[in-house]
Amino acid sequence: MISAQIVKSCLEELTAITKVEFCVQDLNGTLFAKTDGAEVPEESMIVNFCRQPVDSQIIKDHYFFKIMEDDEPVFALTAIGNGEYTMMVAKIAVSELQNLMQAYREKYDRNNFFQNLLLDNLLLVDIHNRAKKLHVNFTAPRAVILIEIETEGDNVAADLIGGIFTAGNGDYLTEVDENSVILIKSVNAMDDYQTVQEAAQICVDMLNTEAMLNVRAAYGTIVEDLRSISKSYKEARMAMDVGKIFYAQKNVISYNELGIGRLIYQLPSNLCHVFINEVFGENVPETLDNETLSTINTFFDNNLNVSETSRKLFIHRNTLVYRIEKLQKATGLDIRVFEDALTFKIALMVMDYLKYLDAKDY
Amino acid sequence: MASLSLEHIYKKYPNGFEAVKDFNLEIADKEFIIFVGPSGCGKSTTLRMIAGLEDISSGTLKIDGKVMNDVEPKDRDIAMVFQNYALYPHMTVYDNMAFGLKLRKVPKDEIDKMVRNAAKILDLTQLLDRKPKALSGGQRQRVAMGRAIVRNPKVFLMDEPLSNLDAKLRVQMRSEIAKLHQRLGTTIIYVTHDQTEAMTLGTRIVVMKDGVVQQVDTPQHLYDSPCNLFVAGFMGSPQMNFLDVTVKVQGNQAFLTLDGKDIPLNAAKSKALIDGGYAGKTVIMGIRPEDIYDDDDRMQKAAIEFKTKINVYELLGAEVFLYFDIAGTPVTARVDPKTTARPGSVIDFTLDTEKIHVFDKETEKVITN
Repeated sequence: MISAQIVKSCLEELTAITKVEFCVQDLNGTLFAKTDGAEVPEESMIVNFCRQPVDSQIIKDHYFFKIMEDDEPVFALTAIGNGEYTMMVAKIAVSELQNLMQAYREKYDRNNFFQNLLLDNLLLVDIHNRAKKLHVNFTAPRAVILIEIETEGDNVAADLIGGIFTAGNGDYLTEVDENSVILIKSVNAMDDYQTVQEAAQICVDMLNTEAMLNVRAAYGTIVEDLRSISKSYKEARMAMDVGKIFYAQKNVISYNELGIGRLIYQLPSNLCHVFINEVFGENVPETLDNETLSTINTFFDNNLNVSETSRKLFIHRNTLVYRIEKLQKATGLDIRVFEDALTFKIALMVMDYLKYLDAKDY
Repeated sequence: MASLSLEHIYKKYPNGFEAVKDFNLEIADKEFIIFVGPSGCGKSTTLRMIAGLEDISSGTLKIDGKVMNDVEPKDRDIAMVFQNYALYPHMTVYDNMAFGLKLRKVPKDEIDKMVRNAAKILDLTQLLDRKPKALSGGQRQRVAMGRAIVRNPKVFLMDEPLSNLDAKLRVQMRSEIAKLHQRLGTTIIYVTHDQTEAMTLGTRIVVMKDGVVQQVDTPQHLYDSPCNLFVAGFMGSPQMNFLDVTVKVQGNQAFLTLDGKDIPLNAAKSKALIDGGYAGKTVIMGIRPEDIYDDDDRMQKAAIEFKTKINVYELLGAEVFLYFDIAGTPVTARVDPKTTARPGSVIDFTLDTEKIHVFDKETEKVITN
């Protein structure tokens, strides 16, 4: 439904050009919008006019017109003035408002269509029919980019992104909850994931710079038609979750690059508990202190090289060996041995995942 | 006025990854500070923590003496410019610059004043009615900066804003940014991985590696007196040559033995090596390409001479790069274009021994500059 503010601003622009004042009321005569200098006609006049089978009426210096939607009157417009000029301007105003309402309805329908499409609420036959009606290409390569807003904003994210990625280029923007914006990005047949990555990065950078919002973006695979949009959306959602758990330092995450995190994310929690018990037995390192964690991560980052790791950590080689041996005593895993290192790395990731599940349940 | 203070700042992610470790820095009002380092060194993360786009795991961030750790990003009076700028294609330059202010519900006449003022600073006044597609790459970048300038922030944060531009435009925009800093008189923190950009723009440079600050200094001092092997190698292009040498001591005089020849060091360098107990040990000698000479004038005064076969000769117009090996280690020299050296020819060359840097092989820290 078009807002009163939009109608008022449209009429004010017309008044500024034509010097004719306008008033828009609903079929019961209740005021909807008016220009600053306009008088509001009595409700009974509007109700009477709307009951009559005419599209327009002139009473003294008041020109009444019906604003139609699908051949049904929805509002009455009153233009105040004299002569042919006022008549002509009123007709222009009616035409303008009718087109504006049509555009808004289409936009709303399109939004609704994409929301239902993303949430898998449409039958295949409906997808075809509604896409045709809304002038949306059924077959075109697209990817879904999910943008999650981490800081509370003034709801400007959609406005900012909508300004860059427009329907004219085949891109559609919608929202399915209050914390995220979804961009259905159209790509060319020749484009690869680099294009989608760039678009996602632009969204993040724009929201960072223009609105100072802390955001994170994730995208799914490129799909070939509208039917599969929900698949790309689900992938983007999963990438967002996996990214938060395992790749927190990244602010753009691709479903195609989730690595081992994807596997762990799909494990049932009881299996994860079994694995952790198997690896650590009774000595589950619930919380490793910062120093140990930093030592382990640096050791892994440096390909299990003791000399390189001690240099990076600014500690003596013997100190590092002592820390590794202390860890071995506590867990039974010697991370200098590849197999143990691998088990430890996976166990750490599984523990991160379990922590995430606990926090979610809580 | 905007001074910043970063005290013991850490950034640790929930998975244990430490992106920034114990970052300490005082930034004075109107300074142009550069964060430089290879990708993944934590420079952008630090910038994002200053902006409030990343939480600070521990430590204190102050702007003008006020603790900012928990202040919302939009309330920090900071503006950011990223490399991935996107202009609204259907809007004019004026509207692009005004858009953010409109969203913040700034009154129309104030927006007009701010946009025109920013356009004047950026020399965009003639282009205000144009749409982005009618602008050149440099002009578009200026509009992107204009969007930050209109907000009149206390601090500008720029994260590799020139990375997407071609080499020529980058050089041009570099000088534009330097001029902009003078005109605005605001504190700027600029992130780059390009050491040339860092050297030409900054009043001070922060060199980072693996989330740790390596050295904070003026460009000249950083170049002349690097604190470790990483800084020495990172700053300067072509990079400093590093050669394994042995320290030989005779009385108060130290020599560096390279390829069977003893390079005499001055008193200060000798003292540093002798006092550090490096006699007889292997250390790393650093020498910048421009401190290697093959011209007759220098050769006549040379305290030490080497002979080598040239592998590659590169003429760059005003200078020539020569590539050769000393004791099996590749070395680059930046010499005068009048050089007679050519690929395959054998030449004599010398080093400016005053400009030799010596590093500890184990800790990689500088022993003497």
